[in-house]
Amino acid sequence: MSGEQLEDLLKAAEIACEAAMRAGAEFADAMADLGQGRSVSMERNAIKSSDARRWAAISVRAFVAGGTGWASASGISQETAMRAGQQAAKLARAAEPDPDFVDLVTPAAYPEVEGLYDERVAQITGAQIASWVTHNIDGALAVAPEAMVSGGANAGWRQWALLSSTGVRVARRSSSVSMSVSVVIRRNDNVGSFYEWDTARVLSQFQPEGLGGRAAEEALRYLDSRTMKSGTFPVVFGPLASGGLLGGLCGAASAEEVQRNRSFLIGKKGERVASEQVTLVDDPLIPGGMGSGICDGDGFPHRRVSLVERGVLNTYLHSHYTAKKAGEENTGHSTRGGIAPTNVIPALGTKTAAQIIAEVDDGLYVTLGRPAPDTASGQVSALVDAGFRIEKGRLTHALKNTMVAGHGLELLSNIDAVSSDYRAEPGMVLPTIRVQGVKVASGA
Amino acid sequence: MKEAGMGPQLERLRDEALRRRLEFAEARFATARSSGIMLQDGRADRMGAGERAGMGVRVLVNGAWGFATTESTEFRDWLSCLDAAVDMAKVSGMRIAEPVVLAEAPVVVDEVKACFEVDPTTVPLERKLAAVRGYEEASACRAGERVANVITGYSDGRQLEMVCNTRGTLVSSESVRVMIWHTITARDGSIRQRAREHRGRQGGWELVEAVPAADFSVKAAERALSLLSAPPAPAGKFPAIFHPSIAGLLVHEAIGHNAEADLVLAGQSILEGKLGTKVAAECISIIDDSTIPGSWGSYAYDSEGVPGQKRVLVEKGVLKGFLHSLETAARMGVPPGGSARADGFMHRPIVRMSNTLIQPGQASLQELIRDIDLGIVLRGGQWGYVWCEKGQYTCHAGEGVMIRGGQLAEQVRDVSISGMTLDTLANALGVSRDFELEMPGTCGKGGQSMPVNGGGPYVKVTEIVVGGQA
Repeated sequence: MSGEQLEDLLKAAEIACEAAMRAGAEFADAMADLGQGRSVSMERNAIKSSDARRWAAISVRAFVAGGTGWASASGISQETAMRAGQQAAKLARAAEPDPDFVDLVTPAAYPEVEGLYDERVAQITGAQIASWVTHNIDGALAVAPEAMVSGGANAGWRQWALLSSTGVRVARRSSSVSMSVSVVIRRNDNVGSFYEWDTARVLSQFQPEGLGGRAAEEALRYLDSRTMKSGTFPVVFGPLASGGLLGGLCGAASAEEVQRNRSFLIGKKGERVASEQVTLVDDPLIPGGMGSGICDGDGFPHRRVSLVERGVLNTYLHSHYTAKKAGEENTGHSTRGGIAPTNVIPALGTKTAAQIIAEVDDGLYVTLGRPAPDTASGQVSALVDAGFRIEKGRLTHALKNTMVAGHGLELLSNIDAVSSDYRAEPGMVLPTIRVQGVKVASGA
Repeated sequence: MKEAGMGPQLERLRDEALRRRLEFAEARFATARSSGIMLQDGRADRMGAGERAGMGVRVLVNGAWGFATTESTEFRDWLSCLDAAVDMAKVSGMRIAEPVVLAEAPVVVDEVKACFEVDPTTVPLERKLAAVRGYEEASACRAGERVANVITGYSDGRQLEMVCNTRGTLVSSESVRVMIWHTITARDGSIRQRAREHRGRQGGWELVEAVPAADFSVKAAERALSLLSAPPAPAGKFPAIFHPSIAGLLVHEAIGHNAEADLVLAGQSILEGKLGTKVAAECISIIDDSTIPGSWGSYAYDSEGVPGQKRVLVEKGVLKGFLHSLETAARMGVPPGGSARADGFMHRPIVRMSNTLIQPGQASLQELIRDIDLGIVLRGGQWGYVWCEKGQYTCHAGEGVMIRGGQLAEQVRDVSISGMTLDTLANALGVSRDFELEMPGTCGKGGQSMPVNGGGPYVKVTEIVVGGQA
């Protein structure tokens, strides 16, 4: 990979933008993308397939009186870029005016974010990926000889260039490597399953060792799962489940959802939306963070944003368009077509996860689940994908066919503990949280 | 986007694979074109179009798979791609369970054109916009002041897939799909409720002309309005009747995925080892049929060049078969099922569903309801997922109607259910003669998205867990 390729991408974006403007667009921007990846997938303790992929693509946005035309195409040749630009402009001319559109982002200084690209990740060979896979199959089998291991690993790089008619001109590269291991253990009619994963942008932060063994150990814990009585209980959401509730809050805080009248957080800016235990910061500048980057999809420089402070919603998540429409500060969360947080970091509490569980006399622990509130209604109704009954402060038996429910605002307000310990992944802080008064329905 | 000449170029690549004496090679050139209109809150301010094209090649070397892709249409890049696939197959060879063997399948040379009455690409944008606007205005008019947000969309797409393998198959399949959707959010104070309708077919613009607003967007508006005054669903276990849309979700999530032979062989399916045994009540018969004319999930040939067909999965409660690729068919010793589908050129074919449905029965809805003292009719299927290996699934129904004393009673909102697949199927008490196959959508598996359809009759089950709040 070379700087030459970044220049090629910038050139393609420039051609697309110019083509759109010549075809009648008042504003235009274009993103050109180039990437390559290798992956190895496994199935029942063996390699299933090994794949090598490469891609090149361009996407163009053109604006006429605020009406938007989008065009995308595979390839970054001059001809492709020009055709995409012309197509976007044609569609923008056909679109109806949007009086809320003002302009596009103008050039700005971008922060430097370390650890987004690692040449060693870009150079990872298929054989190296396969060795991670085979070691983890062996690791799982060492724990449970009857384990059935699936999943896979991949590594790759991406380069992109964003250029706009308002002068934005930026290009960067990034890399990523990840692995997931799913283990199923069957003993007669009992099934235990679990998965483990790791992901990173730089090789030094990637730790594929031991994933298979840990997944197998966890899978064994879920053998003999049972239902429980239905009712209202305290629920402890572990590191892999707490993000569903907290992330759902961020989804509903999208200014696009708010301005379009379809968020349960409408009118809640500056108000309490969660308990005082909840403080959330979105930090796209974390070195090596999976959600990190120097700018958002509009080309607006990234910065750290306080989303929720002691339960009070500080801001909605904005793109350039929604910020202008609301007359508020742009938070830099555009994804070119949507709005999304980057690395959401919760403030930690004072008790350990073990202490939080130990304080529950009669409740449940959710290991895996997606308790995200519906953006419009705020309702949560989620399956406990994997979890345990808590009795007298101890995890007793694994759960099956059990659901948790409530209104998102109610659940967030009923959070009475955030753990001091957490699972750390690049750009992620995943604590344990406890919510009081959750409606639980189970097949018992 | 270049399509002309790609067939002969695939054959050149196939010949190169034969020259190298590869055990098997399959090259696929795929293109996709799409266009769409989104009308939101009265303005059609977003118009889009996309196109993608490229080639993926899959090879077997010493019984191990390798796959590589390129978006280039240059033959020299295709040769490099073949080299990369061979290299990746050698990587796979580091640890294979047993050498891959492929089932025998007829060699096919064929070209299939898409069927439609009115090519959607010839319909002027203004006409499309007028139709979309008509849907939106009718809905907004019905919802009146309680409308919070309305989104109406239209999309059409054309896909072309050419499959060429070293056995001599060369198949070119074209498909054209049209979809319309309408989502309305209604508001009453702090309560917001959303309802969605969508229609999708393989065909042309005639789909839109056949759908009046009263049967589409106005229906969504009426449902969203009625949900505003509905109480939340109760939590607990109830006798239940699944609307055909929920039956479609259930059959897809709970049985369809478990019947995918690759998951069965991977040890990820609860149906492993159950072929020929009773897995459901006698009233349950399930098929996956990719030959239904015009249905969203249909296709003439799969991505291995095997003809699409009707497959019986469950017959009168007995598990009769699985969905197969060439590889899984060989491993299980059955004929290939034509269920290997790939999401464009960037992915290798994997076992997928097409149109999956529960067969209708003889009962009326009223007959199913009348002996339920307290239960729930679940409808408005929105989404779901399944943990195949555990046989645990969940579906978000969105809405329901309580059954009290054998009669339909009050409507309830925010309904999600969970269940254990085999328990649910074994506890089925009856199916209706009313039937719908109207769940056109996209199924995700292994990072690939695939158009599928699902449906069925009303299905009565003894009990289901409802994750409600009342």
